[in-house]
Amino acid sequence: MIRGKSDVKIMIGCLLRRTVGFALVWWVATEGNFTAWPLAVIAVAVTVAVSLRLLPPGSTPGLSLSGMAGFVGYFFRQSIRGGFQVSRLALQRQLQLRPAILELPVTLPTGLPRLLLIATLGLMPGTLGVRLEDDLLYLHVLDTGLPVVEETAQLSGHIARMLGVNR
Amino acid sequence: MLLDLASNLLLLAGGFFFCAGTVGLLRFPDVYTRLHALAKADNLGLGCLLAGLALKADSLVQAIKLLAIWPLVLVASAVVGYAIAHRADQLGITPWQRDDR
Repeated sequence: MIRGKSDVKIMIGCLLRRTVGFALVWWVATEGNFTAWPLAVIAVAVTVAVSLRLLPPGSTPGLSLSGMAGFVGYFFRQSIRGGFQVSRLALQRQLQLRPAILELPVTLPTGLPRLLLIATLGLMPGTLGVRLEDDLLYLHVLDTGLPVVEETAQLSGHIARMLGVNR
Repeated sequence: MLLDLASNLLLLAGGFFFCAGTVGLLRFPDVYTRLHALAKADNLGLGCLLAGLALKADSLVQAIKLLAIWPLVLVASAVVGYAIAHRADQLGITPWQRDDR
């Protein structure tokens, strides 16, 4: 798979970043206690190997940090709104649900961007991804009066910016 | 003092959202609407709970550890929510609809 010099560079950078990242996770998980360090070395090595297999270096070439900050911020705000909204719906004396299945066209590229969209939608206000067929997303919505089409478009935009892909 | 107050308020809010999610699970009419209630209310409830606990943590690394649980559970609940909804759809379970329309 590795062909030129630049590929080797990408590979080494990727290895370094992931090793440091997973070592940090170990540090946090053990609360800074390194007495079991041989285990840590094995765990980090295995995790890096698995991650290279599942997400090869260069598979998210356009990953943008500012885009990620935008996505996380949006996700955070919308999670809070979604939690409040569904709590209100659950605790109302009379159930005010008006559920429906909506079909929306998806323009995000297949693979990770679409997967991220459909999984994330389940935590956003009033939406739940049900099926993805060709370029159509089947979305279960709690209330047909909610602005789910606009919000799904906003979420798609944030995902596209974060991963550096076209919407 | 103020930290304790904020922490306790967050813990109470977390408990409230978990309760609301459970009420939704019991009251909502079908598998799809119940998934909405569980995923979203528990997501927010867990966030409040972990933030409240992190404020009470003994050390910084312990606080980070508590806060790191949130995204991990979020990934799991987002993917599981979709998986259950997708399976229900494949089995041909039609979503509950309001009668009076």
